[in-house]
Amino acid sequence: MKRHITEKELIKYQFKLVSDIRAEQISEHLKSCSDCRELAKQLKQKFSTLDLLREETIVPDKLIKETVKQAKKPVQQRFISFRKSTGLGAIAAVLLLGIALLMSSLVGDKKQEREIAKNLIVSDSETGLDEGTQTTRNLLLDSREPAERKIADSRLRAKRPASERITKEVIPDKPPFAPASAIELVTLPRRENVQITIYNSADLTLVRERRNLTLKKGWNWLQFMWANTLIDPTSLVLEPLEQTDKIDIQQLVFPARLKEIGRWLIRSETSGKVPFEITYFTSGLSWRAFYMGTLTEDEKRMCLEGYVRVSNNSGEDYENAQTRLIVGKVHILDRIAELARRQYPYNRPGWLLSDERSESVAGGKFLKDKGLELNGKLFDMELGMLEPKEIKKEGLSEYFLYTIEGRETIPQSWSKRLISFTADDIEVNSLYKYDEERWGSQAIRFMAFANDKKHNLGETPIPNGDVKIYGQTGEQGYLSYVGGTNVKYIPVDEEIELNLGAAREVIVEPVLMNLEKENFTFDSNNNITGWDEVRTWKIDVTNTRQLPVDIEITRGFETSYWTLEMKGQDVSYEKHDATHSRFKTKLGPRSKRSFEYTIRIYHGKREETGTNIKLQKNIFREIKNER
Amino acid sequence: MQSTDKKLIDAHCQGSPTAFEELVRRYGASVLGYLQRMCGSRELAEDFFQETFKRVHEKAYTFRGDSFKSWLFTMATRIVINSQRQRKQLKFISLNKKTEYSNVDCEKLETADISDNSHNSSDRVAVEEQKEQLREAIESLPDRQRATLILAYYEQLTYPQVAQVMDCSVGTVKTQMYRALRTLAKKLGEFNREAK
Repeated sequence: MKRHITEKELIKYQFKLVSDIRAEQISEHLKSCSDCRELAKQLKQKFSTLDLLREETIVPDKLIKETVKQAKKPVQQRFISFRKSTGLGAIAAVLLLGIALLMSSLVGDKKQEREIAKNLIVSDSETGLDEGTQTTRNLLLDSREPAERKIADSRLRAKRPASERITKEVIPDKPPFAPASAIELVTLPRRENVQITIYNSADLTLVRERRNLTLKKGWNWLQFMWANTLIDPTSLVLEPLEQTDKIDIQQLVFPARLKEIGRWLIRSETSGKVPFEITYFTSGLSWRAFYMGTLTEDEKRMCLEGYVRVSNNSGEDYENAQTRLIVGKVHILDRIAELARRQYPYNRPGWLLSDERSESVAGGKFLKDKGLELNGKLFDMELGMLEPKEIKKEGLSEYFLYTIEGRETIPQSWSKRLISFTADDIEVNSLYKYDEERWGSQAIRFMAFANDKKHNLGETPIPNGDVKIYGQTGEQGYLSYVGGTNVKYIPVDEEIELNLGAAREVIVEPVLMNLEKENFTFDSNNNITGWDEVRTWKIDVTNTRQLPVDIEITRGFETSYWTLEMKGQDVSYEKHDATHSRFKTKLGPRSKRSFEYTIRIYHGKREETGTNIKLQKNIFREIKNER
Repeated sequence: MQSTDKKLIDAHCQGSPTAFEELVRRYGASVLGYLQRMCGSRELAEDFFQETFKRVHEKAYTFRGDSFKSWLFTMATRIVINSQRQRKQLKFISLNKKTEYSNVDCEKLETADISDNSHNSSDRVAVEEQKEQLREAIESLPDRQRATLILAYYEQLTYPQVAQVMDCSVGTVKTQMYRALRTLAKKLGEFNREAK
């Protein structure tokens, strides 16, 4: 081998980095080449310096024991020894001194400081126990710091002892900026409690809901979203129910470019779960009262059941809600449904949607009718086996407040029927009325009673609503539909007369029997100036029912100059008003009665000389003479 | 020896109170020396030493009985390299760096000079100077080269064992070793020239 070995190869040879074959070749070469042997010797000498550091390391027994002890501890407590490094020790001392000074300047009252520290420790220990809560807090409450910083912070917090963490948590004066980012991570704290108060007259519902929110000490952003609901965002109010002195709701921000989102800025001096009440107005919730009356067989008494049907078309499910209903009209500035549909909460005024859409969302007829179908099923499923809930009623300023006992779940697009009251043995008066001018040539059935204690009612006003009256027929008490109507709001002690519609079993037939004109008067030119018109009417009244009936017949004359005569008949009559007279009679079961009356109507000059006018004039004169 | 290591590990996993301590005593000097050479600081080395054996304590059940020494040094290497990566971001300057490594401080050297006043003392100072330069040269090596050099040269691990520790091939280990030696050769040559 004539070629010399390179230094590289010699190094590799010396440290056995070459293959065995190559090592053998180099070894052979070194035997014969003095130059290479010299170079190898120099290299060996050079690398022998490495042996200077080949010292025997002695492990102190103390270190071994300490190592064994530390290894057996569940949590590592010490990683870098400050004790042994004056540099690190000095830095640690400076840090501790700085923190102590900062704390003493921030918190003057040491007692309060201890309390805050105590609270934090409690909350920390709570979060330690409840990992889910901790996760919730991290997700819900956005400190708006860069992600890297957050991660670093969380790592540091995990390593630092609790007491050290307390001293570092100082709330900055300036609140964090809330970027209008559309992509957020939030948790959904469930409603703990919700109360809805429905003002039916104005498509207005006040919602008060309670939710437990997890706050961290410092600034918190709370995001509230109401997409696809009919909430009025301008009415949003957030209030803490506990620790009110430590929690300050600073502002409600509606971020630009984001629809149907509001963010509350909350400054909290405490951390952990705090109950909050969120209040707002919404539309789309409505309620209707309706009644079912069941008459006894003799139709003299009635059982009346009042119901309330609550419909939810607000876009939100209200679970286990305490439901309150307001009777009476309220005055509002804006329609909530319109406010809710605004792109931005404080839009320019007058930006309205079409009436068509507002009707459909506000719970129009179609949905309500559909709700009635669902209603029965819902009632059967949820209330059928339960005792009916009481609806408490109380006066509220100008309105009347009905509170439904217990709690109800009213999902979106559902209606729910609830029993409002039941009153038995209400004395009712059935009356058939005949008035051609109002109802044509058919008798109308009426039923009258009063909202007073005598009629086993009178505790509260009765809200307006539909009434359906059923009668019992047959020995088995089958119900038959008698008639229905709509009643207006009935105050206490007021009478109510229910129009049950046309009565086919009671027939009233007026027949004109005679018509004469007489007592003509003339002027100097022999022109007619007045006359009397005399009509004789025969009224046939037929009752085909098996019950006796009271009938009231009203006849109109279209003039106030008239006199009426009846002779020897069992029918009473009275002058109802200037132009009408009213006849009252009773008919037995399956009976018929006829009566006649003669009406004399004065025309022209005869109006002045007619009987009634003469009488009136005489009375007027007497009064004048007395004066 | 390996079987004994395995027995100790098994005993430790089965709850033996002394097995773990026995392992610490058996490999303590080797691990501490390695860590000390790797990080250049006795106190840091002690911390890494504790951390290494803590990890051994926790992960003992994962040991599958191939080579305990390699497994132990793997852990120590990971700890020291990871730690040094973090430390690079925040550099501490030790005021007593020159004396900490050799356990011989300047005060003692001066005392020796005054009391002995002989050639031995001047030689000793020169040796200490040489050691310090060597330490600096080794410390200046990249982490993996340094670890390879120390494991192979000072801790006497075979190249396959080093490859196991470094989690790479034997060829890679040899390359790393050669590069480390080449760098040192240059620096050591400079030292020798300065010394002359």
